[in-house]
Amino acid sequence: MNIRILDSWLREHLRTEASPKKIAELLSLSSVSVERLEKKGDDYLYDIEVTTNRPDLMSIVGLARETATVLSHNDLEATFVKPRLETPKVLEITEKVSITIKSNLTKRICAVVMEVSVKKSPDKIKSRLESSGIRSLNNLIDITNYVMRTIGHPTHVFDFDKIPTKTLNIRESRPKEEIKTLDGKKYILTGGDIVADDGLGNIIDLMGVMGLENSAVTDETKKILFFINNNDPHRIRKTSMRLGIRTEAAILNEKGIDPTLAMDALIHGAELFRDLAEGKIISEIIDIYPDKIKSNTISVKKEKIDQVIGVNIPLDTSAGILRDLGFETKTENGTLLTTPPTFRTQDVEIEEDIIEEIARIYGYHNIPNQLPAVSTQDISPLENNQFYFESHAKNALKYWGFNEVYTYPMVSENLYEGELDKAVTIQNPLNEEFVYMRKSLVPSLLKIVSENKTHEKISIFEIGNVYAKNGQELPLQTQRMAGVVRDKNLSFFKIKGLLENLLQDLGLVDISFSQATDGNGAILKFNNEIIGEIEILDEEIVDFELDFEKILEHATFKKTYKPISKFPPIVEDLSIIAEKNIATGDLMSTIEKQSPLVKEVSLLDKYEDTRTFHIRYQSDKRNLTVKEVGELRKKILVELKRKHNANIKE
Amino acid sequence: MEKEFLTIKNNALSMILDAENNKELDAIRLQFLGRSGKLTIALKDLTKLPDDEKPLMGRVANNTKNVIEDAINRKENELNKKRQTNFIIDITEPGIKPPLGSLHLVTQAIQEITKIFEHIGFTRVRYPEIEWDWYAFEALNFPENHPARDDWETFFIQQDPHPKYGSLVLTPHTSSGQIRQMENSKPPIKMLNIAKTYRRQSDVSHTPMFHQFETLVIGEKISIADLKGTLDFFVKSYFGENRKSRIRPYHFQFTEPSFETDVSCGVCDGRGCKLCKEGWLEIGGAGMVHPNVLKNCGIDPEKYSGFASGWGVERVLMMKEGIQINDLRTLYANNLDFLTQF
Repeated sequence: MNIRILDSWLREHLRTEASPKKIAELLSLSSVSVERLEKKGDDYLYDIEVTTNRPDLMSIVGLARETATVLSHNDLEATFVKPRLETPKVLEITEKVSITIKSNLTKRICAVVMEVSVKKSPDKIKSRLESSGIRSLNNLIDITNYVMRTIGHPTHVFDFDKIPTKTLNIRESRPKEEIKTLDGKKYILTGGDIVADDGLGNIIDLMGVMGLENSAVTDETKKILFFINNNDPHRIRKTSMRLGIRTEAAILNEKGIDPTLAMDALIHGAELFRDLAEGKIISEIIDIYPDKIKSNTISVKKEKIDQVIGVNIPLDTSAGILRDLGFETKTENGTLLTTPPTFRTQDVEIEEDIIEEIARIYGYHNIPNQLPAVSTQDISPLENNQFYFESHAKNALKYWGFNEVYTYPMVSENLYEGELDKAVTIQNPLNEEFVYMRKSLVPSLLKIVSENKTHEKISIFEIGNVYAKNGQELPLQTQRMAGVVRDKNLSFFKIKGLLENLLQDLGLVDISFSQATDGNGAILKFNNEIIGEIEILDEEIVDFELDFEKILEHATFKKTYKPISKFPPIVEDLSIIAEKNIATGDLMSTIEKQSPLVKEVSLLDKYEDTRTFHIRYQSDKRNLTVKEVGELRKKILVELKRKHNANIKE
Repeated sequence: MEKEFLTIKNNALSMILDAENNKELDAIRLQFLGRSGKLTIALKDLTKLPDDEKPLMGRVANNTKNVIEDAINRKENELNKKRQTNFIIDITEPGIKPPLGSLHLVTQAIQEITKIFEHIGFTRVRYPEIEWDWYAFEALNFPENHPARDDWETFFIQQDPHPKYGSLVLTPHTSSGQIRQMENSKPPIKMLNIAKTYRRQSDVSHTPMFHQFETLVIGEKISIADLKGTLDFFVKSYFGENRKSRIRPYHFQFTEPSFETDVSCGVCDGRGCKLCKEGWLEIGGAGMVHPNVLKNCGIDPEKYSGFASGWGVERVLMMKEGIQINDLRTLYANNLDFLTQF
């Protein structure tokens, strides 16, 4: 959450000679980040990001106190000027309010009824609020916002005459109750919101989030109920998110505000009503605060502080830092005993929290840089490194002309392949594009191909997970590699060859292909285990998808050396006539099997019923004679005839 | 006789001078020096001379022969040179290239990040993207009501909650890997976890799926100084040696103290400009591992301490020189005109 404040306003509670630039720089380094410092006439505007654990810094007072500490530990003189808060004297009581609260909805309620007159706020108030990003309306509303900015606790005003029962009954909302907020918008509640009703069941406030139209102040307002409510932050968050009402009050209240500040806010507000709205208190000051906030004492040893920070810091320095931050602190035998102030109890609970306070004010920039002097002892062979082979495969495809893509793992109904009720499904999808966790990468890749219409030739690939339910266990999440090629002159064999080379390069040599059951492609196997498939979509598009995890399992650096033969090979081309339905692979394997002297068989040409094979004969031990090769050829032809009824072309 | 040689020489030289190509030159050579060439015939006539004239005429003849041969050779060289300069390649024609595709920018960033951290002894790991609440939140010390556990911020998967590990989520950060890593191995640990992460946001600066890289170092006496040093090493290795790094106070559930980590702006060199915040750009979060997190993983916080950081891959990528993409969603739109640029 961000807060914007004018430098002049901050300096009402901070005495220092430090420049706004210096303040911005040092706050960023040691406390909260000043994202922007902007010159505004004679003044400066800070835009500060406050982390959710520091709602105490969402105020002038909080920032002034923090800044004073930060500056003074950077050799700059600075003092925090506490707000003067004196409980106002109540002279005449003419009104009574009854407030009842159900269970633990609120931590503290402070309230008072005042007579007021409505008018415009003075320019100083207006400009401070508007620089802060808050619209100035009239003095009543402006005072509530001004108090929130100064003290850090949201506040609210009711038009008291609009609550004729003079009763506030604080309770949980019930399902289907309707409200109209002061900006005129209607909402139907789902129940569980903290609301105030008038004792007759009419809701008059959506507590801690936004006021309602039926009790809002107007230009005619004569009496107000000035109301500070410290609520259960979790309920505030739920209400605010559910209804989409993100007021500054809601954003603050959901972080949890120190209830101690509630009375400070009431006193400061009452003063401002008196000064700016001719305000006069006409009721008792109500304070319902059953469980007072408590702080625990935390002890930290000096060695621990030094070890975590990595620097030797004198214990007195640490104690001084903590005291300046409002922590009650003493030292005992090398140990710090410290109690956080009420506005820090929420986020300071353990010794590490204390060390953080010391370290940041000591200055992170004063801590040296060093590389950790530990190293893991685990042995890690490169061959087991999935990332190595992944990079290897990606690079291979890149250099074969493929463009790598990244698609979303969550897909729409259209892109999901398979039965939807078996899909790993997102319960709260962002929109219908991203609902199911994909079962295959291919549909997303095909979508890319169809979207890139101007590109005639496309070769894309992706490595990513696919997902499947696994009973009540963690869903299966398996890495796949998929690709799609679109080309006018596309052949299945280009993809087949690509995958053969890719897998061979990863060390998988024993690859085989078998016909896909639907006939439009091939199943890819390694050692008879299915590892992927090629799918022919049409004459121009072929896709493939591989189980990349199985491939990684078998990927290897293993190489086997075979001595190079000293004897020259004899090569010849054999043209064979065979029925077209006889697989080329079968013919080749028959030729290969006839002798270990057949070193290599490849398909040279194919035309109608004739297939020409290129055969290399070679021995490692001697020169082959023409006679030997002739006999071998005869054997091959006999076997081709017997097994495949194939004949040599004369 | 002497005159005859002179005439041959002059004729030959003038013809050689006029020759325009090798073919003409070859013809000249044949005409004078060939088997029935003019000079060859004249040389044969020498034998007919009286003996006392032979030595002198012999010298004249030899000289004539040498002069002609030299001239032919010189002319030949000259013609060869000329031919080469006449035959010019138009080198502006496009080269014939081997196929070259591209790796996605995110892959390139991941490969770079991996190299940098492996250099200082980190081991890259990978853990589930669909993960139990225990790993994503509970063991990381997130309170039950933390906003990150809301339906508004994190994606949940339809499945009955596990009795021990709770509901299923799409990992909103790589920090779940910290818990997996500490369960899987004993200190000292130096982990680099790079993975897909998911959050319910989609606009110019957010995509519902993005990538983070997470470091985790656990050992004896690991301090804030170690974290600062590691951050600075990364920043200088990835962005350049002249860039600076710093840490600032921040707040996370699973680290204490927690930091926001910044790198000095490369555009304004730290002076402050439109692209940065007063001279600095945020990289992401870091901190000292919270003792509750160590305890949840069975590591004794009295004996061991550690630091962790979780930074956005896309974020550091966009902070690199030359890659200011104005809509982050472009990265995953997979327009080939975009992809082929890198």
